[in-house]
Amino acid sequence: MSEYTPMQAEIADIDIESPNTYLITLKLLEETDFRYLPGQFVMISVFGLGECPISIASSPTRGSLQLCIRRAGKVTNAIMDCLVGDVVGIRGPYGNGFPLHRMMRDVVIAGGGSGFATLRSLINYISDRREMFGKVAIAYGARTSQDLYFMQEYKSWQRAGMEVAVTVDIGDELWKGNVGLVTGLIDRFDLNPGSAAICGPPVMINAVARKLMERGFHLSDIYVSMERHMKCGVGKCEHCTIGPYHTCQDGPVFSYDRVREVI
Amino acid sequence: MNAFLEKDRLIPFLDVLSQQIEVIAPLATEAGAVYSTWQGQPLDLGSNPLFPPTEFLLPHKETLFRYIQESGRYTFKEDSIPPRLLFAIRPCDLHAIALLDRIFGSEPSDQAYFRRRRATSLVVLNCTNRGDECFCACLGAGPEAQDPCDLQLTDIGDGYLCQAETPAGVLILKSTFNLLQPAQLEHDQEKARRIQLVRDAMPRDRSCHQIRQAIERADWEALGQECLGCGGCSFVCPVCHCFNVLDRGIPDGERLRCRDSCILSGFSRLTGGANPRRTAGQRLRHWYLDKFEDLPKITGLPGCVGCGRCHLVCPAPIDRSDLKVESREAKK
Repeated sequence: MSEYTPMQAEIADIDIESPNTYLITLKLLEETDFRYLPGQFVMISVFGLGECPISIASSPTRGSLQLCIRRAGKVTNAIMDCLVGDVVGIRGPYGNGFPLHRMMRDVVIAGGGSGFATLRSLINYISDRREMFGKVAIAYGARTSQDLYFMQEYKSWQRAGMEVAVTVDIGDELWKGNVGLVTGLIDRFDLNPGSAAICGPPVMINAVARKLMERGFHLSDIYVSMERHMKCGVGKCEHCTIGPYHTCQDGPVFSYDRVREVI
Repeated sequence: MNAFLEKDRLIPFLDVLSQQIEVIAPLATEAGAVYSTWQGQPLDLGSNPLFPPTEFLLPHKETLFRYIQESGRYTFKEDSIPPRLLFAIRPCDLHAIALLDRIFGSEPSDQAYFRRRRATSLVVLNCTNRGDECFCACLGAGPEAQDPCDLQLTDIGDGYLCQAETPAGVLILKSTFNLLQPAQLEHDQEKARRIQLVRDAMPRDRSCHQIRQAIERADWEALGQECLGCGGCSFVCPVCHCFNVLDRGIPDGERLRCRDSCILSGFSRLTGGANPRRTAGQRLRHWYLDKFEDLPKITGLPGCVGCGRCHLVCPAPIDRSDLKVESREAKK
């Protein structure tokens, strides 16, 4: 069987993260050595509707495989219509993941919108390997308070000694927290220049990277998880190319100096 | 192993081969030469078909696997790939196959491609006539075969010099030995002379480096205004290999791989609507950068073989090698 034939996985659990986003837990139905790193992704398929790339939202330190699915297109709609016990196809894991060994110092993690899913994998990894990292500060922004993911986990991250700051673009009467941009949160962090992980819309990535550069971070220490259209996951279909790089194989995590021109 | 095949024995030669294996050859049709299964039809060996033979390795549509559902679980099946012989492909297209081998062979290698590739024998017809748009010599792709194939043929006037390069090529010559004559030293000399004539007739100003300079000089906005975004250049390019993966059938069905083109407007558009290459000019520039900047970095070879098909097929007033807008009359 070729690389394109997926493994089967059963949907073992579904958590509702926001009105249009579910966190699904998958159980692989085949005996396989499925090992992954924070920042990697899988190709998930609903047979008959197709395949799409989704970053892994769980940490390899915790056993289960979780994906955060936002209602966006044909395949994600079909996944969200699945019930516990339904079977989907999984290929992967693909991509490079975050360069953990180069990040083992002070870390800023900045996420915007659904880009926060891949960062949750990194945050939980750091949380479970806390002694290997320095100070960790998390800045996360979503459109409204309804769109904030993983709210039940912020306390556990704080207990693990990580600073967590959250903001929304549009406040409402129920929201008592920050309203504004993610960059505003970073101003408050008391951090030495170290490494950073960013995932979110292009405007947000550039703004955060600029802010971090002002704070003395090197471009090459700022890691960005890039989103591109993908079809194969194995560097052949050419949908995800950024210059000579294939986002699916050479990325999706790039240091900012390699991709700043194309964000 | 070398041999000589008289021209009037070519059809009996193909007859013998087609009894052993499906032979794909350039057939003469009303629409010009077209690679298709040979079953005795007239051949067109005088021109390079517009559609390259690489479509037998990376078809416009192929089944990657079939899925069969039973009680909510799936079983997967791959179709068997029939062995084939590509007959009289040109050195430029052979070079394109060598490039595709590198592209699909990079880790993780693409077994869906190599299943077909391994089942395919290659018989090359060296070029002793030059097409109007050919510039293979500038890119090291021709006019003589530069890459591994099973058998090379060269038209040397009253017949073909046949040179087997692999055990499969030797087997072809052994199975047709009663149609062949021994090759002579003069045959080799005549081959060299004819190929040199074609080489001398080639333009010299279209090397990878020279086209890279043209890419830098080009007015991409103006070219983008003229580009119709049809993707025709990608579908006739023997090196282009972009594809889409999609499913057909519920609950049972097949996962298909279909050819795609980075020239098409939705090629890199994300589900949310953002598009890293929004304009036709950006997409056309990307098409060239991939061939002349990025593929050389990845594979060590230019991503163009100088077949000139993109210029022949392009309906827009664009000079596809000089990268200039040309007058509509010039294109006709």
